[in-house]
Amino acid sequence: MKNSLILAIAVAGIAFMTFMLLSIGEKKQEQALINTAPVVKAEGIEARSDEWAKYYPHQYDTWKQTSESSEIEDMVEKYPQLAILWAGYGFAKDYNAPRGHIFALQSNRNTLRTGAPTGPNDGPMPMACWTCKSSDVPRLMAEEGENEYFTGKWARAGSEIVNPIGCADCHNTQTSQLELSRPYLKRALEASGRELDKLTYQDMRSLACAQCHSEYYFLKTPYTDKNGKEAVAAVVTFPWAKGLSAEAMESYYNGYEFKDWTHKLSKTPMLKAQHPGYEIFTTGIHFKRGLACADCHMPYTQKGAIKFSTHKIQNPLNDIANSCLTCHRQSEEEFKQIVKEKLDRKNQLNVLTMNSIASAHLEAKKAWELGATDAEMTPVIDTIRSAQWIWDYSIASHGSFFHAPGETLRLLAVANDKSQHARLALAGILAKYGVINYQVPDFSTKEKAQQLAGVPLQKLVDDKLAFKKGLMKNWLDDAVKDGRLTDKFVQSIPDKASYPQ
Amino acid sequence: MNIETALRYGALTAIAIALGLGLYLVKESKATSYLSSDAKACINCHVMESYYATWQHSSHAQRAVCVDCHLPVENYIDKYASKSRDGWNHSVAFTLNTYGKRMLITDDGARRVQENCVRCHASRSKTLIKHVDRYHAFNSPNLGDRKCWDCHREVPHGKVRSINGTPDNLGVRWDR
Repeated sequence: MKNSLILAIAVAGIAFMTFMLLSIGEKKQEQALINTAPVVKAEGIEARSDEWAKYYPHQYDTWKQTSESSEIEDMVEKYPQLAILWAGYGFAKDYNAPRGHIFALQSNRNTLRTGAPTGPNDGPMPMACWTCKSSDVPRLMAEEGENEYFTGKWARAGSEIVNPIGCADCHNTQTSQLELSRPYLKRALEASGRELDKLTYQDMRSLACAQCHSEYYFLKTPYTDKNGKEAVAAVVTFPWAKGLSAEAMESYYNGYEFKDWTHKLSKTPMLKAQHPGYEIFTTGIHFKRGLACADCHMPYTQKGAIKFSTHKIQNPLNDIANSCLTCHRQSEEEFKQIVKEKLDRKNQLNVLTMNSIASAHLEAKKAWELGATDAEMTPVIDTIRSAQWIWDYSIASHGSFFHAPGETLRLLAVANDKSQHARLALAGILAKYGVINYQVPDFSTKEKAQQLAGVPLQKLVDDKLAFKKGLMKNWLDDAVKDGRLTDKFVQSIPDKASYPQ
Repeated sequence: MNIETALRYGALTAIAIALGLGLYLVKESKATSYLSSDAKACINCHVMESYYATWQHSSHAQRAVCVDCHLPVENYIDKYASKSRDGWNHSVAFTLNTYGKRMLITDDGARRVQENCVRCHASRSKTLIKHVDRYHAFNSPNLGDRKCWDCHREVPHGKVRSINGTPDNLGVRWDR
């Protein structure tokens, strides 16, 4: 009897201690995972994020969650003014609010702006249009050479560029550390007076994002390729040499007499702001207080005893508790309310400004039709160019108002003022040619605005759908067959666009 | 061999295994480190790393380790009773992952820390208490419930000390 009691107690003790040892072992494994940096691949760049997932399961899992931001928000539908503002340019065809990183390539292939190529040397866009969309870009740049990468039509690399924005865009494959995978950012930083060897880790937590979330243009760069042949690359370039503000970039572009396109209605030589998110962020208080993009967009989070930076990069307002409230002390509800009020103010100013610039374009069109001369129109269209650039800079990065509220409102006010000056001058010109109280045509819906802008929407959509069934399908099939795209999750994400599929 | 003999041998074997396992557990759990006052013992639970790091970079690291503030120092019985109680709560929380992302001190823990603030900063706190009606807690005859860190919020763990918020701690790899 006594023996069996002792045996029972000893066995219970063994069971408990075994449980504890297993638990301690598990914690130690977690600790080891924290403290070691595995080598994902010994040489070269690993563009397939599912390969990184073997070593970074938590980061990969949260990266996959960027697929939750999947909805298409048709911005031209929401703000038909945009079709007038961008008449004659790709953005009048199709422009949507941003979605999760995992959709970057899908959106790039689906947008009507990239057209419907039928072969590798066909289509409206250059190779540069892949540059921010995929972790295959640094891989291809390393394989081909940077200038070679930037040469040719967009369709040339359709079967090579298949993994959406992922690990290799920001991390070194061998060390996993943050790295600038795009050489043009390093050049831009140097041009703007930054010393690369003085960049801190905190700087890197913003600059990794700035590689793509910045203003850029395609600089025509002649070079001699490996076979000794003369070629011209369209190299992504940041206009930072005179500074990062809207006015500094405007002066940089004017120095080149650069234009992205000529406006179809007002014949203005136009600039298109891309998405100067990093630049405008550097004018805001969060930046000045030492925060980096990752502090709000990739807040630290936890699973078991492992802490990691979430890679579900999204609007921080979706995760107020973990990002904003780490520093701000309001309740989540109160915080949301404050932000909403502020945002409403900006939206009101934005609509006013867009309406007044769009009206200026249409009034200029009328003036040209009435026979206004170049001498009369040049100062006016110069003002419109400047107004629209400044408006576009203030809005194009979507998060600009949050990143720098004061600067965004200032730019909207300046843009509005400039466009109203242009309209005053135009009223004079129209009066000179006998037209008083000219009412611009109605651009209050997407259909009306796109018609004024001359966008053949249905044809664009039909061509695109044919491209998707043909060339695009071949690209993806080839990529899967050759093992460049292995991520089953990426292949399964829902296919959405602003037009019916 | 009858059942009694088998049970006796079984019990002896089980005791031997249990003893061996116990010793191994002591080693694996670094149990003896808890008898010391080394601050590193506190980060055996690596969720404490942000607290360790913030302390380590504070001026307090020159003079005081974790237990100097967090445990009573007046007598050994009180000290080890508190230490075992905290140790038990901490190991349960760490084993079962029941701790929050922002860990908060218990009322008893806060009392101990407050007493230790006053103990080390005796001359300063005496002056403070003497002038309390002039400088602090105007409507109260004494300091009331206020704790030193209600005002001195950054002492010694800094303002940002949550597991998630503290940079470069606990699983943030960056060693270039």
